[in-house]
Amino acid sequence: MKGWTGNILRIDLTKKTHRKEQFTEEFARKWIGGRGFALKLLWDELKPGIDPLGPENKLLVVLGPIAGVPMPNSGKTIVAAKSPLTGTYADGNIGSHITIQLRKAGYDIMILEGRSAKPEYVLVEDDKVTFHPAEDLWGKGTFDTQKVLEDKYGRTAGILSIGQAGENKVLFAVVRSMEGRAGGRPGIGAVMGSKNLKAIVVKGTKEIPMADPKEMKARGVGDLKKVGDMDKKSKWSVQGTNAVLSWCNEMAALPVRNHRLSQHPEAWKLDGQRTSSARVATYGCPNCTMRCGIAIKDKEGHESEIDYENVGMLGPNLEIFDLKQMASLNYMCDDFGMDTISTGGTLSWYADAIDQGAAVGDFKFGDAEAAKVLTRKIALREGVGDLLADGSLKASRKVGHHSEAYAIQCKGLELSAYNCKYVPGQALAFGTSAIGAHHKEAWIITYELKFSERGGYGRDKAQKVVDLQRIRSSIFESLPICRFPWIELGWDLKNYPEYYNIATGANWTLDDFLRTGDRIYALLKAFWCREHPDTDRTQDYPPRVYFDPRIADKEGIIAGKHLELDKYDELLSHYYDIRGWDKRGVPTRKTMVSLGLEKEADQLAKVCKVSEDCVPIGNRGV
Amino acid sequence: MKVRVRLIGQFSERLGFAEKDLEFPSAPTAAELTARVGLKGLEHVITREGLPLACEDRLKDKDRVVIAPIFSGG
Repeated sequence: MKGWTGNILRIDLTKKTHRKEQFTEEFARKWIGGRGFALKLLWDELKPGIDPLGPENKLLVVLGPIAGVPMPNSGKTIVAAKSPLTGTYADGNIGSHITIQLRKAGYDIMILEGRSAKPEYVLVEDDKVTFHPAEDLWGKGTFDTQKVLEDKYGRTAGILSIGQAGENKVLFAVVRSMEGRAGGRPGIGAVMGSKNLKAIVVKGTKEIPMADPKEMKARGVGDLKKVGDMDKKSKWSVQGTNAVLSWCNEMAALPVRNHRLSQHPEAWKLDGQRTSSARVATYGCPNCTMRCGIAIKDKEGHESEIDYENVGMLGPNLEIFDLKQMASLNYMCDDFGMDTISTGGTLSWYADAIDQGAAVGDFKFGDAEAAKVLTRKIALREGVGDLLADGSLKASRKVGHHSEAYAIQCKGLELSAYNCKYVPGQALAFGTSAIGAHHKEAWIITYELKFSERGGYGRDKAQKVVDLQRIRSSIFESLPICRFPWIELGWDLKNYPEYYNIATGANWTLDDFLRTGDRIYALLKAFWCREHPDTDRTQDYPPRVYFDPRIADKEGIIAGKHLELDKYDELLSHYYDIRGWDKRGVPTRKTMVSLGLEKEADQLAKVCKVSEDCVPIGNRGV
Repeated sequence: MKVRVRLIGQFSERLGFAEKDLEFPSAPTAAELTARVGLKGLEHVITREGLPLACEDRLKDKDRVVIAPIFSGG
């Protein structure tokens, strides 16, 4: 086998044992790597209904055939597990030296099982695995933890760690690396914490197997320069993703005040120009050609590395327009190891719930100091922080008083920083994302504006969402690799199959990736259905407030606009029709068999009704 | 006639301004305006009041347009 090492490192944290296993070439070619591998392994190895925070859950660190090679932006790793936030498969895409080190150690996959009796970290040095006490690290933030381990094992050691949020099983705790990188929004950090696993350190010395190493090196070196030059010429990295804030504000797609508003006159205080001017350093992932980590000083003087999602959710969404205060919240989330998007979404739900009289408290929109106190309480699960640490959906169900209506989430995961009140296609993208409302699955707002009709519900939008989910699941989540050269600089998509072929000796085209993307997305949804056997199409709806005319903006360019439920349902039917899923959103047997998922269809049918075939659109009703 | 132009992100960095008024002797089309700004050949989306303009759409006096690259978020 070329391209893949073919090896799985399986570590049992309870028994303190480890073993090397092999996967077949057939498995590799069917699932590519990254998300594909993780999804299939978790489908096979986890019993439905297990407690995500119990020892029976498994934490996977997964790479793919081009991970870690000298190719533009190839420094990404997938971390995956069953999510405690959404109750289904979850993953995160994180830039880390572990991408290179784990491959050099001779593995594509690391599976961590069981639970350590005491806090520990695991050290992998090629074939050697050792377990180390981490009591002295437990209670430390991710910055200190990274530093201690880097001092001990070197700056280029592959290190993944959690902060106090992961230790305390905050349901949106993330895994962190290289100080500024984070992954695993739906609580992968909490799964790591539940295993008493503070960190993973990997050092490898072997060659990464390639079908054509000479060609890989020549092509990679050339493209690293080429993509870097494209970035310099375009000036994309000057503002990075923070440029999106001004655009969302101009387009009335900005989350303001828990999505009750979609524009704000003070948004400019946090825009790309302001953050770029305040920049004190820039950071990126291994092999990065367009470093997007813009660090600014927060109110307390820390370096806080921000991108648009952080700014959008901790800034306008909370009506905080002081750049340094927003940066402080961001730094705290990073240090505690907590997702900034879900922290912002949960805090904004809480402020809203107090406003609406559903919850008791004194937290108000715009109060940055109180937001900092609450952020700390969430990470440590103190007081009301214990409620909020479960995310907006679970918290709203505990609080009641109809507050679930304005928990801005899908499948339990808070929306990224796009207000979809009048962007139906993006609402569909969030609604149908099988891991919850994550922007990494599909982002179609500019498509909706330029090539379609903004307020329209045409089938083309469902097709675009499916196309992006295919591309992102198969190429970017499974190789795995950063999507920015493609989406921000227009680096041709055909480069990715070409690199895959150089690495593996295959002869794949983009179509092979798209078909694999369909397979992955069908199994992703099947995973959701297996864990939620009574699922229906409402699970693929966006937040309900988007349909409520009372929440429509009162002024501005989308005054009075809101999503229409019957039209959204029609759009969703188009989506199911394209995918070959039934009207409940469950993949049909015919679809699963056509994608090589016959066994998985049988397994799903044991717990959830699986239709044989689709009812043609127009005859199905909703 | 005057049209106010707002550039987003990399476009403002490339062209050295974020927002300014441009004078035209007569109503330009969206394509004429983007060419004048210096964005001809660069993929972009141009909007007025949050809705997209086609190349042939004509602008009015005191219109404000926003021009952004086709980007995809963080």
